[in-house]
Amino acid sequence: MASEIEKGTKYIPEMTQSEIDDLNKSMKTSSLKVIEDNIEKMKKSWKDRPQVMEYFDEISNLFGKRQEEIKQQKATGKKVIGYSCIFAPIEMILAADAIPVRVGSGWYDSAKLGDRIMPVEVCPVIRSTVGAKMVNLSPFLELSDAIVMPLTCDGRTKLSEMLADHKPIWRMNPPRVKDDPHTLSMWKQEIMVIKEKIEKLTGNKIDRKNLKTAIEKMQQATKAFRRLQELRKGNPVINGRDAMLVNQTSLWDDIERWTQKVNELCDELEKRLEQKEYSTYPDTPRVMLTGTPMIWPDSWKVPNLIEESNPQGVVVVDEQCSGDRILYDPVGVDEWTMSDMIDAIGERYLMACTCPCFTSEHGNEDRINWIIDRIKEYKVDGVIYYVVRGCILYAMEYQRIKNVLDKMNIPVYYLDTEYTREDVGQMKTRVEAFLEMLEARMDI
Amino acid sequence: MLEIIAETLRITIAVALILAGMLAIVIWVRNNTRKLSTLRLFVQIVAVVLIFLGLIIGPFGQDQWEYLGTAPKDIAIGKEIFGRPYPDGLTVPTFSCYYASGRTATCVVWQLQSYLFPDFGTSSVYSTSGVERLAIATGLLILMSIIFGRFLCGWICPFGLYMDLLTRLRKALKIKHWTLSDRTNEVLRQSRYLIIATFLILSVILGMRAIAGVELVSETELGRYLEIPFCQVCPAKPLFVLVEGALGFMDVDYMLSQTIGDFALTGWYLTSINLVILGVVTVGSFKIRRLWCRICPLGGLIAIFSRFGPFKKISLIKLTKVEEKCTKCGICKRVCPPQVTEVYDDKGGDVTVSSCILCFRCVEMCPYEGCLQVEVAGKPIYKSKNWLKEEE
Ligand code: SF4
Ligand code: SF4
Ligand code: SF4
Ligand code: SF4
Ligand code: SF4
Repeated sequence: MASEIEKGTKYIPEMTQSEIDDLNKSMKTSSLKVIEDNIEKMKKSWKDRPQVMEYFDEISNLFGKRQEEIKQQKATGKKVIGYSCIFAPIEMILAADAIPVRVGSGWYDSAKLGDRIMPVEVCPVIRSTVGAKMVNLSPFLELSDAIVMPLTCDGRTKLSEMLADHKPIWRMNPPRVKDDPHTLSMWKQEIMVIKEKIEKLTGNKIDRKNLKTAIEKMQQATKAFRRLQELRKGNPVINGRDAMLVNQTSLWDDIERWTQKVNELCDELEKRLEQKEYSTYPDTPRVMLTGTPMIWPDSWKVPNLIEESNPQGVVVVDEQCSGDRILYDPVGVDEWTMSDMIDAIGERYLMACTCPCFTSEHGNEDRINWIIDRIKEYKVDGVIYYVVRGCILYAMEYQRIKNVLDKMNIPVYYLDTEYTREDVGQMKTRVEAFLEMLEARMDI
Repeated sequence: MLEIIAETLRITIAVALILAGMLAIVIWVRNNTRKLSTLRLFVQIVAVVLIFLGLIIGPFGQDQWEYLGTAPKDIAIGKEIFGRPYPDGLTVPTFSCYYASGRTATCVVWQLQSYLFPDFGTSSVYSTSGVERLAIATGLLILMSIIFGRFLCGWICPFGLYMDLLTRLRKALKIKHWTLSDRTNEVLRQSRYLIIATFLILSVILGMRAIAGVELVSETELGRYLEIPFCQVCPAKPLFVLVEGALGFMDVDYMLSQTIGDFALTGWYLTSINLVILGVVTVGSFKIRRLWCRICPLGGLIAIFSRFGPFKKISLIKLTKVEEKCTKCGICKRVCPPQVTEVYDDKGGDVTVSSCILCFRCVEMCPYEGCLQVEVAGKPIYKSKNWLKEEE
């Protein structure tokens, strides 16, 4: 009997090795091409792109240098711990001297493959991740020794089961009501469980000292990140896509080196700001992105459209867990005791997060406040609310946010799409119409 | 004449010192936002020195009340107010204990209790009537509560400093602290008002010594203690008396000679109850930050005159929050010494509450630019910052 059930838990269909290899090869080639294209496009729109951006271009190659680096470190006995969502306590992973990498995937091709085992109604982020696993496409997922999976939405909940066929999956159960004291203590227990698992896997004890070092490392990253964000508040000295790329590479790069490079970039940009050398015209409509995470490289389709259309827009800020929300919040430690550090980490990942998977007495107000604040701080002219079909959490929150933005007299555009390149032409028209409207408003 | 000049000079120096200190504070805070806690410690220490070692601005070493030791007991600021003698000196709503000899100012709790009954004791020190003194004490209490509010608790109160030092010691030893549940805190907060009412009523009743011919307490030393009931249980008294004794500012022999009797009521300077409570509070606030402040009746008194009714509107120092900048990250709640939850829970605007000691730790630790701010008379003087910038 038991054996029947065991069979049933296997989600992923049997495929022949040659089919896997073929698909892997073609998808990899196509992905490398998309990466290259995106970088080309970014270079073209920003004539005077700083030298140091090349570093981020290099890291952005998912099949390139960083993958090799991790492989080498893995060979020396280091463990790689993947995570599917920014709820995973990175500080703990770093403290145990393991390598944290984000494993969520955004390949359009592999989303189609995912359709084989999942209905198309499911969010393409999930289908794409499963599809990538079917043909071992994602280098970071393949390299992971274990994957931390916070179960934020239905898609991720089932995804954790599917991936469990291949990798040890460490589930985390984020409470849905985040500001209740008892749910916070529940979440802290989840963090403690993960801590134990990390310790067991790596054989390294997470203690006061290494945890403190890890927290400080991440604080430095946040500091650099905020420095970059600060630069996006004024006239554009960096294009939105480039900033987004910088932010997203922090998910798999060595965080210390990343911090250093971001600071180098900021040094350069600060100089340019002084000399009034802008990356694009200062009167370009300033756009904010919100909604479903945009995962490198395929989802660059949207920011590419915004920043290349005519009239052009510039993405100055976003409210996405693939962008500005990755590093914005620091872990604020009051007393450097183990217990306070863990509390601080727990709160940082749960309470400061504005994911739509939460609700509270007043609804997910934190997210609305975040958006309002960013609109004011970054002098946003219009908001693009990006949703991929199937991501119902973001889709459902749209109306409430629209109501608030209407009151603020900020235009918002609901841009729904799929993991496909086929709708680019049609999307271009939509985006252009929106930007034209923004520009017309600005002229008044 | 000479005396008046000397007195004026002393007060001027004291005031100048305080102003210079405040100026230094303002300048320093501008540059070092993350160092606010250190600054607070510094201000607290200066305040303790000013309150208890009035000796440094008085004729040090001169015996005034010879049986008390070398410290001049009555080097008090404001011994005269509006030309009326006010022998115990300036009323300050902090635990600037009357019993410790070198003080320059006096604890309002002591004054309220002793002035409540007009024929205080058999002493002849007072030429002013009790009602007048009571009016001055209450007036000053209300005035200072409006101006400073519980800033006095966070930054001035010597007993608050004692608890903060215990916290610092615990931090240095890397021992974790305990938190009390919100409900327990609420009960403690409410109990402050009960304690205030109890000790005020008791001091009236016991101060009368007899009601309708029925003797309550006899005309003895014991009677004198009981007229000031709260001070016989206050944890601050033995602390300051012992410290001053140890430092040689008080005559320990005399002090001990006044500390006699059975367990419950031993004496003027120390009662066993004082000592037991001090012990409990010491152990407790080692593990729980600002434990005593959560039930302190004096904190409650200040809160009454700064956080409720019409006083709430006119009180000068306030803590405000910009709703949309708050991501509800919870840091303010976690770092708050008396575990105030309202700063976190409340939506925006004025978030100052009666249990907040205005220590501004939350403002210092809130990581969002301009989310929390300290306002004095409606003007923001200190705001939360992206403190990562300062952390080098
Ligand atoms: S995009 Fe939406 S549905 Fe998809 S994984 Fe993220 S939260 Fe879930
Ligand atoms: S014993 Fe306590 S209440 Fe009484 S004067 Fe001293 S500090 Fe104030
Ligand atoms: S609450 Fe009481 S003990 Fe605490 S600081 Fe205020 S006056 Fe001092
Ligand atoms: S620390 Fe600041 S942002 Fe965080 S909950 Fe408190 S007020 Fe809000
Ligand atoms: S709310 Fe803020 S200012 Fe008030 S006591 Fe708590 S930390 Fe201090």
